[in-house]
Amino acid sequence: MTFTIWQALLVGLWAAFCFAGQVWGTYTNRALFISFGVGLILGDLKTAVIFGATAELAFMGFGVGPGGSTPPNPLGPGIVGSILAITMHKLTPAAALTLSYPFAMLVPFIITLIFTINSGSMESARKAIKEGKYRKFNLMSNVTLWEFMLFAFVFGFAATLSTSALRAFVQIIPTWLMNGLTVVGGLLPAVGFALIMSTMLKKEYIPAVVFGYICVAYLKIPVIGLTFVGIAIALNNYYNNKKGSAVNVDSENAGGAEDGI
Amino acid sequence: MASRKPVLTKRDYFISILRSYYLQNSQNYGNMQGTGVAKTIWPELRKIYKGDEAKFREVASSNVEFYNTNPQPYPFVTSLMLAMYDSGQSEEDVRAMKMALMGPLAGIGDALSQFALAPLFSTIFASLALQGVVYAPIMFFICMFGITFGVRNLMGYLGWKVGTSIIDTLSDRMAALADIASTVGLTVISGLSVSFVKVNLGLKYSAQIKGKTQLVTVQAFLDKIMPYMLPLLLIFFVYWLITKKKWTAYKIILLLLVVGVALSAMGILVP
Repeated sequence: MTFTIWQALLVGLWAAFCFAGQVWGTYTNRALFISFGVGLILGDLKTAVIFGATAELAFMGFGVGPGGSTPPNPLGPGIVGSILAITMHKLTPAAALTLSYPFAMLVPFIITLIFTINSGSMESARKAIKEGKYRKFNLMSNVTLWEFMLFAFVFGFAATLSTSALRAFVQIIPTWLMNGLTVVGGLLPAVGFALIMSTMLKKEYIPAVVFGYICVAYLKIPVIGLTFVGIAIALNNYYNNKKGSAVNVDSENAGGAEDGI
Repeated sequence: MASRKPVLTKRDYFISILRSYYLQNSQNYGNMQGTGVAKTIWPELRKIYKGDEAKFREVASSNVEFYNTNPQPYPFVTSLMLAMYDSGQSEEDVRAMKMALMGPLAGIGDALSQFALAPLFSTIFASLALQGVVYAPIMFFICMFGITFGVRNLMGYLGWKVGTSIIDTLSDRMAALADIASTVGLTVISGLSVSFVKVNLGLKYSAQIKGKTQLVTVQAFLDKIMPYMLPLLLIFFVYWLITKKKWTAYKIILLLLVVGVALSAMGILVP
């Protein structure tokens, strides 16, 4: 399966749009969402979405990296992994995910590079305002966005056009290694889940974690049902804590009012 | 403190909320979102300082300074700043408020959007997608965008309405909200994590059962004791590496890659 130049252009534009969401904070730069568009453009929505869901779960914890660090980016698997999954049906989603990890690790380097290159833009932006060159300021104030979109476009375009090279590369991988990559693809979501837990988990949330495990492992409750269990626990916590700390809240409010006077 | 007649309308505030999406358009390591701050409040500053070009340039260029917060609750800052500028309060006061809000809002915003909403909806809709619902990604986007758009509007409204004194109770309330979202998120995440992480032992042994020799897999044996035991242990192990050993994601991925391929080659783990 080879793709036309138009499909490559569309994937490039889709990648640019999705990656811009990283700047805007609109949640388009998620593996699940990126894969959807790639599947639509390349004509295999189902395969792409199933792969996207696999990658989404593995990457869920990324993007919340501890302050300052740039974690692996879902643009890599979202584009490259989806293309791999669509063009090679014998590849499991897990194996496609493992194969696209190097691209996920490439993207943060580009982001760091762009942020570093633009470091000096503060002074020129300030100077532009002081000299009344508002057009120039406007240009400066979008520079990261344009660079992000340009990079993502080239990335998506090139990945789609080099499908046959990607396939040739995958075909020389021996079976034992392919099996290994599938196994690793099953292990990797543990990183995403553990990362998100490391930022969210506090002692008071342990009951919620245990409940979640029981519901799935023993009761086989589907995900929407699980959400309701979570809501029940949360509301229970909220109202019971409120009762316990009502006195504290009152005394704090009284202090605030006094300070105000 | 000089006072002046406010010129901004509700529409102006709404436009500044929409422009909050521009905040990170020029993100860099120099002033982070600084240039973006000046950009998000640009048209409103033009309106406030109409006819006083020098003053406009002074205020706009002073806002290019370093700023770094979470973009979702950020409209609170712009509305508050604009309300203060518009009523003629001193620029030092505005700056003090702006800087004081940077940290708390980043904390609240991260807790709510990145640690609670995003993982919650991403687990729900990814699992729906795995069950063959091809439009789950669109639903994911609509939920995430819709809710965060609502948060931005609410924060912009609150910033305009309540001003400075209420920020303590506001952050209390936001903390309670983030707490509820975290609890729901963790229930869903912990439940689904064990079923999505796949660790299958390939080991088999033969056992004498009622006089017949049968091949028993260790995996089936483990599942009898406790379902999803190995995925659970793996998640705890990785969690321990992150929190106690301070390993980076890259290092852990590399470790899992090497160990996974090796164990699979030896036949201990199977796909």
